Amino acid sequence: MITLNDIRKKPQGVLVLGNHPGIVQSILDFDYACGKSEPSIVACITSNRKSLKFFFGKGEVLIPCFQKVTDVPQALAAKVNWMLNVQSGRRAFDSTIAFFDAFSDAYGGHIFAENVPERHETELIKKYGNTKIIAGPSGVGILVGGHLKIGAIGGTGLAQLEQGKLVTEGSIAVISTSGGMTNELITDVALAGKRVSFSLAIGGDRFPISSLTDILTLAEEDPQTTMIAYFGELGGVDEYEIVEMIKEKKLTKPVLAYIAGIIDEAFDEHMQFGHAKALVARKDESARAKREALRAVGVTAPDTFPEFLEALAKLPTPEFHDRVVAMDSLAKRQKSILSTREVVDMDEIPTFVKGGKIVKRENAFAKKALEALLGREVKSDVTVALGEAIFELLIDHGGHVSGAVNTMITARAGKDLVSSLAAGLLTIGPRFGGAVNEAARTWIDGVASKKEAPQFVEEKTKGGKLLLGIGHLKYRIGIPDPRVGAIAEFASLFKNHPHYDFAREVEKVTTAKNGNLILNVDGVMAALFLDILAEEEGFTDKELAELVDAEFFNALFVIPRTVGFISHFIEQKKNDEGLFRLPDELLYVRKVNENVVDKKGKQ
Amino acid sequence: MSRVKLTEYRAKKIILGDSYRGISIRSDGGKLAPLEAKGSLMGWVAKVDQGVKKRMKQGLVAIGVDAAKAKEAFAAWRKKGFSQFLLEPLFPHEASEEQYLSLERVRDGVRILHARDGGIEIESHPEAVTSVVVSSESDIAKAAQATKLPEQFLHDLLKAFNDNFFAFLEINPLIIHGDEATLLDAAVLVDSAGAFFAKSWGEDDLVKAQAQHKAEERVEALAATTPAQLTLKVLNTEGSLFFLFSGGGGSIVIADEAQLQGAGDLIANYGEYSGGPTREETHLYAREVIALLLASSAKKKALVIAGGVANFTDIAKTFAGIIDALSESADKLRKYGVKVFVRRGGPNEKAGLELMREFLTKEKLLGSIYGSDIVITKAVEDAIRHVKMTS
Repeated sequence: MITLNDIRKKPQGVLVLGNHPGIVQSILDFDYACGKSEPSIVACITSNRKSLKFFFGKGEVLIPCFQKVTDVPQALAAKVNWMLNVQSGRRAFDSTIAFFDAFSDAYGGHIFAENVPERHETELIKKYGNTKIIAGPSGVGILVGGHLKIGAIGGTGLAQLEQGKLVTEGSIAVISTSGGMTNELITDVALAGKRVSFSLAIGGDRFPISSLTDILTLAEEDPQTTMIAYFGELGGVDEYEIVEMIKEKKLTKPVLAYIAGIIDEAFDEHMQFGHAKALVARKDESARAKREALRAVGVTAPDTFPEFLEALAKLPTPEFHDRVVAMDSLAKRQKSILSTREVVDMDEIPTFVKGGKIVKRENAFAKKALEALLGREVKSDVTVALGEAIFELLIDHGGHVSGAVNTMITARAGKDLVSSLAAGLLTIGPRFGGAVNEAARTWIDGVASKKEAPQFVEEKTKGGKLLLGIGHLKYRIGIPDPRVGAIAEFASLFKNHPHYDFAREVEKVTTAKNGNLILNVDGVMAALFLDILAEEEGFTDKELAELVDAEFFNALFVIPRTVGFISHFIEQKKNDEGLFRLPDELLYVRKVNENVVDKKGKQ
Repeated sequence: MSRVKLTEYRAKKIILGDSYRGISIRSDGGKLAPLEAKGSLMGWVAKVDQGVKKRMKQGLVAIGVDAAKAKEAFAAWRKKGFSQFLLEPLFPHEASEEQYLSLERVRDGVRILHARDGGIEIESHPEAVTSVVVSSESDIAKAAQATKLPEQFLHDLLKAFNDNFFAFLEINPLIIHGDEATLLDAAVLVDSAGAFFAKSWGEDDLVKAQAQHKAEERVEALAATTPAQLTLKVLNTEGSLFFLFSGGGGSIVIADEAQLQGAGDLIANYGEYSGGPTREETHLYAREVIALLLASSAKKKALVIAGGVANFTDIAKTFAGIIDALSESADKLRKYGVKVFVRRGGPNEKAGLELMREFLTKEKLLGSIYGSDIVITKAVEDAIRHVKMTS
């Protein structure tokens, strides 16, 4: 088991299972106030989010999120040595095991959930009881003054950080079965002019993973801890562990204890109090019996809480040095909207004209646009050239297509440029222009599935579903889409193109059924762009999947087609034909009572 | 969260499966026709199945009855307020055959206590009791050897115990004929936290302590709809000290102080709102306690809103909920001379205390109010002084 001094010696990293923003923020505030250069929270395991934004001091930081503990990349995983499990009682068991399977060298952690079944607790004790320090289930976690805070322990408000003097290295160990009383005692220690060396809330459950003996041993062996303040309750027999340890001289530091539960004597029957364990089942579990047993071995165990505080105040206080933290400035901090970068770095303005001559800058717009979209520098000319080619080819496809029609109709209704453009853009979707992204997803799935094309097509088209990226109304086998051929030539520029190859395999399967089911322009763009990003720009499968989730591939259509829509708008404004009305002969109107007559006839 | 009694019917059904022939009777006991059809040479045993201890002594078991006699017994028990019964075929045996067996989940596994003689008081005769802790599969054989119970029976029993999230099982008496075990009487406590995982038992199979007071019932219903903890126990409807406690450990410390100052009998209620309840939930909870306070005929009454230094419960938010409830009855509270005493700390402490102080001052209800820099027991001390002043 790790010692407290080892914890103090080097930076500790915590992986959060689940997300509890209040607790995570309080840990970052603690870290900042301790003067750490980076937060102890390494990452969160939580679905649906890629990152979570928290304050670190006055500024903000992004804590990365992953779906599974095994998804944490090696560079981050190497920093993890503690678990903070804030998942519910139903998931606490499985998630704890998954964590220690992935991080078998981790020192321990805290399970926050209440309602973890006893059977799960005893199984966790069997697995980790002897090797890890685990606070809970339930309670509020672990605190090492000035170094480590895992959980809500010591509070979650900025003012509490200062009031409890949590960032000072102290000399008193605070150990408690109750989460609330842990914090009460931490506050009391600070108010008495003393500081906490270490604190742990064992939790009010029947079977805490780290036992009271484990925790007391930690305090006993810690050179900075001079004495122990303990809060216990009626119910259970944990306090007899203290008695045994003192008798066996395994615990030699002075213990000051308050055992709550004298109130139980006011009732006819033993009462179940708040914590699972807080019920007197046998005589020796009463508060009075436990106090007396503790006193018999020399523990100071006052009758009343005010007496307990007086005894605390009288304890000798070793010297300590408070760290001054300017918390006031933190209280006014405000959340920002996430933006981690300037989309296009224009610190260096390019030279466009030099010596009376135009400076030739090849595909400069396409390059800058792709860099902005991808969020990184584009290394390969092939990538830029493909981007340029797509932008060029997709500017317009005539006035018949639905987006152009909507732009024109809106323009003729007297609307402005942005409104007309928006009408066109809003038409983009699964049936018009918006299929590039879904096609990319299809090729990613296909390659990742390692399935043969026929089987893949069979599965994907079950129930009459369409494969996006395949099929054209006009072009077919024998009348190829010239744009597809032009873009496909890019495949000759680099070696590996698994997505493109797979798309062609799929096309073989689909065209065997129907000659119109050819690889279309959306499909070929998506496939080749995926391959180029992987091959020339070093994108990983995961990064490609992220681009699909962020609809990057649809942007390849939206950008050039915006130019096309605007052109249609300008043309309409120039000609100004007035309000458009659909000609009567183009509108098929069914008479309202047609069906009714039919029905009557049948009757 | 805690260990809860399972009905004997469900316990035996889980342990014995389809071979169990007991019949659970919940409503009027009118449909006893199957009894005659099923038949039993020796008749039936009828008993109350509501987790009552020492049923035999209390006359809540009838042995060797037929359908008509069973009906009579049920009718008599219903008059005593019971509503759940069990009928089992009578199992003839000698008293000398009766053994005692219990299983309890402990830190390092399952502790088995066994006594050859089922009639003895287990606690007062430790020498007659064999105790074995089973930590792994391989310990079962050892346990069988030590207790001389059939190994397969112990194996199956432990499997049922673990699979179904039992916390405690007592079979007394247990009859063993060869490898065949018969459970004449079985009491089971299940771990309520296992409810989600255990498919074999549900809400309906748990024996609940009857809510003694309407307010307790309402708080129970409210608690079922939130992840926060809301509990209420009415201890003395004519009490003087009414508590709005926030959190397990701190509430016991404060209640202790009342007991130590000789005011234990003045305590009207115990319970807590904790685990970050919303303003609305706190409002509804506080309303129940205030209603209890108004209904008490004690001359001097005080409301104590007290707790430790919270870790993550927002003080301003929960206090706003309490103020919502107090505003509804402020006039009445003032009329009865009720004072409110407060001690609380935690996130948003300053704002919460300020809000409360302002409200109580305006409504002339303020007894005293303290934050985390004053000892946790101060508010209850002040409250006791207030209620004892004239009474």
